[in-house]
Amino acid sequence: MNEMELLREVAHETPLPAPGELATARARLIAAIAADPSAGRVQAVAGATVSQPFPSSGQLVLRPAAPVPVLDAVKLMCGGAVGTAVQLIIALFYLGDIRAYHLTLLGHRFTAAQLIHWRPLIAALAIVVGLVEIGLWLWTARAAGRGKSRARIMSLVLVGLATLQLGGIHGAADLFFAVSTWLTGLAAVWQLWRPASTAFFKSRAVSSNHATPGSDADRRR
Amino acid sequence: MRPAAADDAAVIERSWREPERFALLFDRHAPHIHRYLARRAGREVADDLVAETFLAAFAKRDRYDLQHADARPWLYGIATNLVGQHRRDEVRQYRISQAVAPEPEVAGHADRVAADVTARAMRPLLDTALAALQPGDRDALLLIAWEQLTYREVSRALAIPVGTVRSRLHRARTKLRQALAGTEAAAAYKELTTNE
Repeated sequence: MNEMELLREVAHETPLPAPGELATARARLIAAIAADPSAGRVQAVAGATVSQPFPSSGQLVLRPAAPVPVLDAVKLMCGGAVGTAVQLIIALFYLGDIRAYHLTLLGHRFTAAQLIHWRPLIAALAIVVGLVEIGLWLWTARAAGRGKSRARIMSLVLVGLATLQLGGIHGAADLFFAVSTWLTGLAAVWQLWRPASTAFFKSRAVSSNHATPGSDADRRR
Repeated sequence: MRPAAADDAAVIERSWREPERFALLFDRHAPHIHRYLARRAGREVADDLVAETFLAAFAKRDRYDLQHADARPWLYGIATNLVGQHRRDEVRQYRISQAVAPEPEVAGHADRVAADVTARAMRPLLDTALAALQPGDRDALLLIAWEQLTYREVSRALAIPVGTVRSRLHRARTKLRQALAGTEAAAAYKELTTNE
């Protein structure tokens, strides 16, 4: 017998606790579970589902609630939309200040005369691109909240776009918002690819496959 | 005996969407975690620490690596960290154990009773030696000796490489051996166990 066996011998002195001894700890855990935001959502979803059965199949379909990382990602993407909007405003604000040396396209440097000529088009282009980007942020946030797998791909694309935008920054304010938006997007992507999020997207894909084609459930999606 | 833990990962994964499922993990492992905490920090503190262990586990369940079916190393890791925050309670527990060694059980095989008596005689030395160990060494030693975790499981629990687990265990065992060697009780113990 060695010191390890002696330790094991000594360990025998402590028995397993009686069930009653764990009651308080269990009650604390149950309270924490009840206070968990996703627990409330599961109940809410269950309630909504019971009141709205899908008529074509006659079955109740319980949609899994989005876990905390997905909800965080949704918030971050909404933040990304706000950041992009601010960037757009800054871009429009400084549009009149664009100098010829700022603008090169496919290696061609614009002259001051060309710039005056093209300025309305540049403004229109900036607005359209900005609005599309804002729309994509919001659409991706909505799709992620609903468990659409393509939202994760789109989030990668958006971060890619935000990365490209880092190359064309003018001014400290623009730099601040561009970097903030990029970091926000990066954090959202990270949240969307965490294990809990992956499980959520997979489970939603499975429940989507189980829904009857053409049913109300299907159309509602 | 180890509790069935083959599908802990499945329970945790399910609890991401249905948090109430996490209670199953408590029912499955709380008694053993409580006993571990009671051994290390005392029964009074263990009641509180077991709750904190599962609350912490519940809060970070979305970070659990589902490749590990058995959640015990993860839970023991959290529990060990909490013991680390109550280091003074732990050392005090060893001192209490030294002072109040329980009476041996009278019933049972004579050799068994004799082994019990000798082990209890060595208990104060053992407790002193345990209290003198480096916290990291003690964590590795006790997870292996008391909770019978494997090196790999301890590595997971303490977030250290397996090689570090081995070296910590080796260091802890050497110190224990040195502390126990050369005493009257140790000699009696050695004599008794060699005769077995």
